[in-house]
Amino acid sequence: MPVKLLLQLSWRNLWRHRRRNTILLVAIAVAVAGVLLLNSLLRGIQVNMKESVIDNLTGHVKVLQPGYLDDPSITHGFEVARDWDMDVDPDAIVGWTSRIRVPAVIMSERETRGVQLVGVDPARESISFLDDIVIDGEALLSPDDRRVLVGAGLAEQLETKVGRRLVLITQGADGLNREAGYRIAGIYRAEAAGLEKAFVFTGAETLKDMLDTLVVTEVSVRLADDSHEPGILATMIDAFTGLDVLSWRDLEPQAAMITEFMDTAVFIYFLVIMSALVFGLVNTLVTAVMERVRELGMLRALGMRPRTVVAQVVVESSLVMAVGVGGGVLIAMCVYALVADGIDLTAFDESLQSFGVSPQMVPVMQTSDVVMVVALSLILGLLASFYPARRAVKLKPLDALRR
Amino acid sequence: MAEPVVTCRNVSRVYEGEAVPVHALRGVDFDLSAGEWVSLAGPSGSGKSTLLHVIGGLDHPTEGSVTVDDVEVTALSEAALSDLRLRKIGFVFQAYNLIPVLSALENVEFIMQLQGIAGGERRQRALDALDALGIADLADRRPGEMSGGQQQRVAIARAIVTNPVLLLADEPSANLDSATTEELLDVLRKLNRERGVTILTATHDPMVMGYTTRQVNLRDGNIVDN
Repeated sequence: MPVKLLLQLSWRNLWRHRRRNTILLVAIAVAVAGVLLLNSLLRGIQVNMKESVIDNLTGHVKVLQPGYLDDPSITHGFEVARDWDMDVDPDAIVGWTSRIRVPAVIMSERETRGVQLVGVDPARESISFLDDIVIDGEALLSPDDRRVLVGAGLAEQLETKVGRRLVLITQGADGLNREAGYRIAGIYRAEAAGLEKAFVFTGAETLKDMLDTLVVTEVSVRLADDSHEPGILATMIDAFTGLDVLSWRDLEPQAAMITEFMDTAVFIYFLVIMSALVFGLVNTLVTAVMERVRELGMLRALGMRPRTVVAQVVVESSLVMAVGVGGGVLIAMCVYALVADGIDLTAFDESLQSFGVSPQMVPVMQTSDVVMVVALSLILGLLASFYPARRAVKLKPLDALRR
Repeated sequence: MAEPVVTCRNVSRVYEGEAVPVHALRGVDFDLSAGEWVSLAGPSGSGKSTLLHVIGGLDHPTEGSVTVDDVEVTALSEAALSDLRLRKIGFVFQAYNLIPVLSALENVEFIMQLQGIAGGERRQRALDALDALGIADLADRRPGEMSGGQQQRVAIARAIVTNPVLLLADEPSANLDSATTEELLDVLRKLNRERGVTILTATHDPMVMGYTTRQVNLRDGNIVDN
C-alpha cells in the first residue's frame, strides 16, 4: 500500500476545505481540551479529597485495637515499645507516629464541648495536618508538653484564648473519669474549620499520665506513594499480630468510594463528550466523502484498489482527529500552566468543606489521563471513519464517474 | 497481422431500467490489434461508451467474454480489475479527472506511485511524459491553475507514462475547442505512430474520427459498420 501517497493526499485534502475543516479541527480541539481540563479539575478534587482524608490523622495505613472503631476509648489501646521503629525502606514512607486518641469533654470558664483529645509526639506529626497549621501562640514542643493546642473554631466556642486554662475530662483505663487542667499553648487554624472544632492536642506522654496507662490507641503511617501500600500493610500485619491493620480506604469508605467514583466519572464524561463529537465527525466525513464521490471513483478507475480507497478515507479521518487532538492537548497544557498553582474557590468554601475539599482547587493533570484521552480520541476517530470509508468503497467506479 | 490486444465475443450489457430492461450492448464481437487507433462512433445511447467501459473493466458485461492482453476481464474480482486497470490500461476521461490537490507532475506520478515505482525513476519518467506532451513547464501547477487543454494533456501524460498496452479515451475532445482538440489529436497520433500506443476512443466528434486508423460504428448496441 502506498503509505506515503496516502499521507500526502490526506494532508493536502485536509487543507482543501479550509473553513469546514478548521471548524471541525477547532471543535475537536475544544472538546479534547475541555475533557482534559475538566479531568484535571476532577483529579484535583480527587487528590485533594484523598490528601485531606490522609492528613486528618488517618494516614495511609493505621493500626488499631479490634473494637476501637466502635468504642474509641483507652480500653482499646495497645502497647508500642518506645524504641520500636518500622523496618522498611525509608523511601517508602514519609513517616509514622503513634497517638492516643480518646473522646473527652473540654470546659472553659464559660462553655463545655465534646472533642477528640489527642496525645501526640509533635516531632512525628509531619505526616498529618498538624504540619500545615497556622498557630497563634506556641506549638507543642514534645510528647511531655503539658499544655494543649486547640482549634480557632473551638476557642471561639469556648470563648477562650492563648494562655488561659481549660479543663479536660475523659475516661481512664480503669473506667474512672479523669480530669485535668491544661494551659493553652496555642490556637491553630486548619484548612477545614471542622478540624478546629474536633481535635484538641496535647503531649502523648502527658495524656498517658492523665489516663494512667502505657498504651496508645493508634499507629499511623504515611506512605511516599500508593504503590507501597501492599508492602507496608504486610509489614504492619507482621509487626502487630492480633491488631487491625487498615488502609485509609477501610477507615474512610465514603471518601474512598467518592474517589473511585471519580475515576469512573472521568471516563464517563470523556465518553459522553467524545461520542457527541464523533457523530459530528462522522457527519462531516460522510459529507466530505460524498462531495468527492467522483474523485474517489476516478481513483478506483485509475487502478486504486478498494482497500486502498478505504485506507485513504481512514487515514484522512485519522489525520483530522490527530491534528485536532494535538491542538486540544496543546490548548489544555497552556490553560493548565496558567491555573496549575490553584484556583481560588473560597466563595464556595462551605459546600466544598462538606466534601472535605480545600477551597484552593489545585488541578492535577495526570499523564495517564492525557494518554487515555489521546488514545481513546484516536480510536473513536478511527471507528468514526469506517462508515464513510465503507460508503466510499461501495461506490462502483463507473457510477461515481457518472455523477 | 498484429496480435489482438482486445477481443470481445458476444458481449451484451443489459441495464435494469425502471420500466423495461435497457440493452446497451447486444452480442457485440470486436477485436483491437496492437498499434491500432480505433474510434467507436455512434449517436448517444448507441453503446460506444458502454463497450469502452466493459473493455476497461469499469463495467461488467451481462453476457459474453472480454479479453485484454490475454486476460479474461469478466472473470476478475474488483481488486484484480483494479490491478488490470493499473498495469495494462491508461484512461483519458472527458472531464480530465485529475486529482485537484496534486500538481501536474504529481498527477502523472500518481499511477507509478500506486505501481510502487521508486521515486527517482518515477519523477524522471513523469517529467519525460510531460515534456513529450509539451507541458513540462506546467509541472508544478495544480489542475485549477491550468486550461482544459492543458489538463487533458496532463491526463494523457498520466495515461501513457506507464506504457500501458491500451489507451482508452472516452470523449476526450468533448470539453475542448477545435484548436485545442486538433493539438491533442496530433499528440495522440504521434503516440500511436511513433510509440505504437494502441488507442480506443469513444467519440461522436468527426474531427477525432478523422484521425483514427479505423472507425467502428455502433447503433442500438450493435456494431453496424466496422
